Amino acid sequence: MKKDLRKVTAIALMGTMIVGMSTGCSKKDDAKDTGSDAVAATTAPKEETKSDESAATSTPEATQAAEAVAGIDGWTPFADRVTITVPVYDRSKEGYPAVDDNYWTKWVQSEFGDKYNIEVQYVAIPRSDVMTKYSLLIAAEQTPTILMEYDYPKVAQWANDGAMQVIDLDKFAQVAPTYYNKMVENNQLNYTDINGETYFVLSERPYYNTGYTYASFVRKDWLDAVGMEVPKSYEEYCKAIDAIKAAGLTDQAPCGLALPTAAYVANFAFRDFPANEEEWAMHSSLGTPSLSWEPTYKLLKRQNAEYNKGYFSSEYDLDADGSQMKTDFINGKTYSYGGYMSANVDWLTAFYEKNPDAELAIASNYGGVEAGVVDQPTLRADNPFGMIVGFSSLATEDQLKAAWMYMEWMSQEDTLFTLENGIEGVTYTLDEKGLPVVNGDYRGEEMLNHNCNIDMTCIVHASKTIGTIEDSIAAIAPQGLPQDFTQALIDNYYELKEIAEKGWAYSDPVFAVAIDSESEYSATLLSLWKEYSVELTKCKPEEFDALYNDLSKKFLDAGYQEVIDERLEAYKAGNTTKLPEQK
Amino acid sequence: MEKQKQANKQNKQKLIRGRHGRYYYLKRDWQLYLLLLVPLLFVIIFNFAAYPGLRMAFMNYKPAKGYAGSEWVGLEIFHKIFKDADFLRALKNSIVFNLLDLVIGFPVPIILAVLLNELRFTKFKKVTQTILYLPHFLSWVIVASVAYTLFKPETGLVNILLRNAGVIEQGVPFLTEKWHWAVTYLLIGVWQGMGWSSIIYLAAITGINGEYYEAATVDGANRWQKIWHITLPGIRSTTVTLLIMNLGRIMGSNFERLDSFGNTQVKDFQYQFAIYIYEKGLSSGNFSRATAVGLFQSLVGLGLVLLADRFAKKLGEDGLI
Repeated sequence: MKKDLRKVTAIALMGTMIVGMSTGCSKKDDAKDTGSDAVAATTAPKEETKSDESAATSTPEATQAAEAVAGIDGWTPFADRVTITVPVYDRSKEGYPAVDDNYWTKWVQSEFGDKYNIEVQYVAIPRSDVMTKYSLLIAAEQTPTILMEYDYPKVAQWANDGAMQVIDLDKFAQVAPTYYNKMVENNQLNYTDINGETYFVLSERPYYNTGYTYASFVRKDWLDAVGMEVPKSYEEYCKAIDAIKAAGLTDQAPCGLALPTAAYVANFAFRDFPANEEEWAMHSSLGTPSLSWEPTYKLLKRQNAEYNKGYFSSEYDLDADGSQMKTDFINGKTYSYGGYMSANVDWLTAFYEKNPDAELAIASNYGGVEAGVVDQPTLRADNPFGMIVGFSSLATEDQLKAAWMYMEWMSQEDTLFTLENGIEGVTYTLDEKGLPVVNGDYRGEEMLNHNCNIDMTCIVHASKTIGTIEDSIAAIAPQGLPQDFTQALIDNYYELKEIAEKGWAYSDPVFAVAIDSESEYSATLLSLWKEYSVELTKCKPEEFDALYNDLSKKFLDAGYQEVIDERLEAYKAGNTTKLPEQK
Repeated sequence: MEKQKQANKQNKQKLIRGRHGRYYYLKRDWQLYLLLLVPLLFVIIFNFAAYPGLRMAFMNYKPAKGYAGSEWVGLEIFHKIFKDADFLRALKNSIVFNLLDLVIGFPVPIILAVLLNELRFTKFKKVTQTILYLPHFLSWVIVASVAYTLFKPETGLVNILLRNAGVIEQGVPFLTEKWHWAVTYLLIGVWQGMGWSSIIYLAAITGINGEYYEAATVDGANRWQKIWHITLPGIRSTTVTLLIMNLGRIMGSNFERLDSFGNTQVKDFQYQFAIYIYEKGLSSGNFSRATAVGLFQSLVGLGLVLLADRFAKKLGEDGLI
């Protein structure tokens, strides 16, 4: 009996070894194919990734039996200390510890770094000035080992400028199989290349086409006071605001608006549906504002009408970072404000402190719908990926490996759980379902940084998820407020899901080639957009059209024409993703 | 005895002719040279060591590729810049605003110094001086945010005050309309800098021999006459030196000041070199362009200083160089 068992085990082990070795080889070939075909794959992503999936999922077992074990089990500490630098956003938020040196960065060092003889250094990147900080780091030859950003044009520029190195996804999969398999699962292998070379790996963005982590709140008590429900169309919205103004519920302009800080123009709802793919490829972007495009015209025209009706403060353009807009809402002066949800949303907490009797509700996604202008509440779906992660061209082989190890280690369930929830009994407690509830008020040393340490975990995924979607939403529902928004946020998610299922949510195109003119002009165009959008918002309605034409022309001449020409060329050459089919 | 006299004479001659060994002075005054080393190193490191970086202006410099990997493009960047309408706008604004700064800002510290000098009650004088120096120590960011709080058209304190007093009906756009902005911006500049700049003049005034004033008093000169005929001529060379130095700044621009006072409504005037360099150079990662504009600024600045210096010498002043 004993002998038989030994025999069976031996045969089984041998079998796994042989299978492992063969699949190990085949995996390599497959992955190589993906690398070179990634650009072409944008048109036919499904089949390509399928073959990868089978190959990749087999990686861990395959290599377990072979000599080199993939993933954490195969790691050994470096002989000489290896230093890696990892960027982390600095959002200059009050009341939070330094992003690059706090309890959790030290925790990473002691739990991961010291174990493998790696020094993990964090480098703070100002959230509002990412490109400048990176430019300076690159110029000073202090490029962080890992470079990452949410916007594709930015990473494309770094890759194109030579700040990033070409990577071998097979090697990556060997060091970081968990991370790699997630990418395969999420169909992300189409986005790893630029100019025909592999540069990037991508983090996950759960529920990317239903941005449920963001919510807009409106003053329910004001609506009650004027006898109205939460507006479900633009007509209702205007009626509500006019009534609020007439009733004198606030002594200043009732709606919040600030100078645009980013190039993103929220004009999805103003676009035709189904969308014109060529126009989408030319204009739909986070990198450059789309002034001169029809949907932007419609958006500005509406904004101009609202301004002239006195909805916005005449000083709104002096609010360069949106802080005044936030303050106004907190002080109970404006009707609406929105932001990303987490267990501790500072402005909601502050709002209820200032306005203990106030009541809020989550705004409807249909609040802007108006026949002929906004026919359906089309939304910008996020990219099907979170961070786009690349690696410094200055990084040595060891540094590269250490960075991959860092990413793999971060992807482990228990690492993520600790980083996102902290320490039981200190920063979180378990509820009756056994799910963590973070104590957003905790201010001790172990406190979590912005949004449950998201700026550290973003290298793995763009938002924290636990259990079902309802559980995930419950985890990001703001805690400790007089009102509980968990159900409202869940309802909002289902409304968003419905919108996405109708095809009304789609993302921006991703280019497989670098758009040079975009890197050249984007800063100038953003600055012009700030200037022009204010002029167009503040001008008299009857002057709007003439001014719009004039400024659009100037904008095109300042570089935007070149940008859209280059994008169009890339689109025609098949170097972009395609729009999802729209009914 | 005779021999010693001879030796003394020789020594004296040596001293006069400076026939000491090469390291004689170094050895004698080594402490002084050691002290000199610090500023010298500073200049070498921060002024001269940076010079090789100027070649960036002639390359299509990509930080990640470094000097070796970047393409040499000669004067192409300059061609591009001089054709750029935004550059011309920045050039015009920089010159106009710096000239205005000079015209308005230059005489004020002199007047202030003369006035302070006439104060006889020392304690009052000291307190006044300190208060006048204070703004110099505030960063532009703070000055600008205070200015915005005071001068916003709707919610600014000054406008609220004027409105409530019935002086105006609508808020004055001190900082949100370009012509108003220009005036406010320049005056705040004067206010910020005048106290500090007056220190040098005050020092120069202190250097004037008191006997002149006594003699003038004996001759029956009044205060105005003393200021006009003694104080002002007494600080003339200081004034000229400072004027020459200020002329060198005509092409310069202070990013901190411009950026913190900027808003979209006044871009037409606020768009000066510092903003141009930041927006079209640094923000876009275009270091070549930033360097080229910087080089242009410096060369023109240098030219102006040399010209002013020559002019001053022609007028019989010492000049700077």
